[in-house]
Amino acid sequence: MLSVRNIVKQYAGHRALDDVSLEVEQGKIFGLLGPNGAGKTSLIRIITQITAPDSGEVIFNGQKLNSNHINQIGYLPEERGLYKKMEIGEQVLYLAKLKGLSTAEATKRIKYWFDKLNIGSWWNKKVEDLSKGMQQKVQFLATIIHNPELIILDEPFSGFDPVNADLIKNEILELNAKGTTFIFSTHRMESVEELCDNIALIDKSKKILDGAVVDIKASYRNNTYRIEFNGDDNFDNSNLFDVLEKSDVKDGKCIKFKLKGNYTANDALAYMISKVNINHFAEVIPSMNDIFIEHVKR
Amino acid sequence: MNKILLIIKREYLSRVKKKSFLIMTFLTPLIIAGFYGLIIYFSIKGINDKTDKVAVINENKTLTEKLASNKNVTYEYVDKSFENLKKNLNKSDYDYILYLPDFNIDKPEGIELIGTKQAGLTLDGRISDSIEDLIRDYKLKKSGISQTDLDNLKSKVSILTKKIGNTGKEENSSAGASTIIAFVAGVLMFMFIMLYGVQVMRGVIEEKTSRIIEIMISSVKPFQLMMGKIIGIAMVGLTQFLLWIILTFSISALAVSIFVSKEDAKKIVASSSQVTGTNPGTQQFQAAARSDSPFGNVQKSLENLDLGKIIAVFVFYFLGGYLFYSALYAAIGSAVDSETETQQFMMPVMMPLLLGYALSLSVVTNDPYGNVAFWLSMIPFTAPIAMVVRLPYGVPGWELALSMAILIIGFIGTVWFAARIYRVGILMYGKKASFKEMVKWFWYKG
Repeated sequence: MLSVRNIVKQYAGHRALDDVSLEVEQGKIFGLLGPNGAGKTSLIRIITQITAPDSGEVIFNGQKLNSNHINQIGYLPEERGLYKKMEIGEQVLYLAKLKGLSTAEATKRIKYWFDKLNIGSWWNKKVEDLSKGMQQKVQFLATIIHNPELIILDEPFSGFDPVNADLIKNEILELNAKGTTFIFSTHRMESVEELCDNIALIDKSKKILDGAVVDIKASYRNNTYRIEFNGDDNFDNSNLFDVLEKSDVKDGKCIKFKLKGNYTANDALAYMISKVNINHFAEVIPSMNDIFIEHVKR
Repeated sequence: MNKILLIIKREYLSRVKKKSFLIMTFLTPLIIAGFYGLIIYFSIKGINDKTDKVAVINENKTLTEKLASNKNVTYEYVDKSFENLKKNLNKSDYDYILYLPDFNIDKPEGIELIGTKQAGLTLDGRISDSIEDLIRDYKLKKSGISQTDLDNLKSKVSILTKKIGNTGKEENSSAGASTIIAFVAGVLMFMFIMLYGVQVMRGVIEEKTSRIIEIMISSVKPFQLMMGKIIGIAMVGLTQFLLWIILTFSISALAVSIFVSKEDAKKIVASSSQVTGTNPGTQQFQAAARSDSPFGNVQKSLENLDLGKIIAVFVFYFLGGYLFYSALYAAIGSAVDSETETQQFMMPVMMPLLLGYALSLSVVTNDPYGNVAFWLSMIPFTAPIAMVVRLPYGVPGWELALSMAILIIGFIGTVWFAARIYRVGILMYGKKASFKEMVKWFWYKG
């Protein structure tokens, strides 16, 4: 649905985006990852038409991105705020109307969402009287109120307590189930693994990795397994695998090992079952966190 | 376009609903009406109600003519010794003792004024004027001028200035009235542009520091946001101006009907009708000369000035000047992170406005048709103030039209210039902006 093609953005003295291309599929949650200053915000600002690229183009639903698309995109920036002296209800109404909703329609939707997010009594409260987390809820609401096809969230969970983070996460998943596409920019890798279907990793203005989360993780498998067991054997001299790590756990021992040659996990398991009591067996797959760090360090 | 309207509405309502706006709007006319009331009051009563009683001890042999008492000072010649009177001054009912020693008439020295309290500058001046008059009269008489001639020499003059209007008709005018209007208009214009220009800047800074700006510009174009804010605040200014005019007139009318007694009111009417006369020309001139109420004169001239035109032109120049400057203020606001950082940018924007203000109220009021006045009212940086100051004195139509045209081109220019800086500035956080940086932003693409 969104196709970013060969975007270059040059600021005085440095290149923020260098020939970046990526595809966001309809109805998916797309993770835009990268260290601070990599160029994520520059890219988002181009997609939201806050700035224009020096070269390259963005295609939205088959059309070249234009001002008609503004109302179909919702954007929650990382640096976000509200008018401090304005009342909450009035404020969300204002933002919704700027996105093209009529007063009646906007009021109806705001009431619905206020109830859904447990902030029904806040209509007349002023922003300056709310905590940061509460403000975040209002901002999230302002982002999605006009039912956009594409929602871009930049660090949506920062500032939320676990209960409210969960509430927001569920809303994201619910909207996604109804077909809304998300772009999700974050440093928090656990939420990437939890939510994202696809990712792109940007570092130093260039895209260095992209693809489906499952595929990326699969490609980083290296036949390493972790096993917890009770028994005397230490498997020091097995010809099926090399032991990488040994440790003691609560009710037994634990080792991490890497298979040799063409042996499979089943081979190793069969061999071990004959020697010890196995409590736990799992493949060690690198987390997105590890992949992220590995790529960025390179 | 619809989005700009929404922004204008918010900017307007959020300011008009503020308590400070309401207080300013209602308090200012009260203050203006208060001043107006004071002027009326003093024009009736005279500024100094109190008459000082002065005991005169004259030891001068030449100056035998006595000082004449007037409504401010009563002179009483006493035949006591200076020392004796000094000691008993507190017990006596005199306020001051004036001691005139036997000085040389060509070199009056050693005159003393002693009182229970320090004599003010006004009294000092009045007494020395009286003595100077006395000495002059003495000298004139000595050179052979008779008392009747001397009396004839004294005349009180009040000039009724007039000008020939565009229609060729003679119009009553008073340099005093024009100057008052010019000053008021100049000060108001300066205040309005400053006050509301700075409000635009504050608004931009507020949006930037509260970070709402990022949310806003994902919905609207920076130019729309900037123009919406500028226009919304301009409407706040117009609302305030309109309310001030309405309130000032109604409060003044109310105050006059309550505080000014009927007799005083008659006096005002009498004094002004005295000036008005029915026949133009010499009769009026004489009437004016007889009248010792400058108030009536000014009042009449005020009626002759086309207040409607002045207000309309004022509103135009307020809008033009405000748009011209507020765009620059918006650019400044976009470049900084807090109000404390605005200083270095404010100076170059403030300077032409201050210069225009200072020159308008000095040079232009002195010579409203001169070269300086002409050029100041053409250059868009100074035109808003200079032109409204010139206006009560009369400005040729073509000059007004040219100045307005230049101002319109001027503000389109500053708005365009400011918008290019604004769109980049609002997204720059934590960077300390410089003029060099701002020039760079100006040339950014897209």
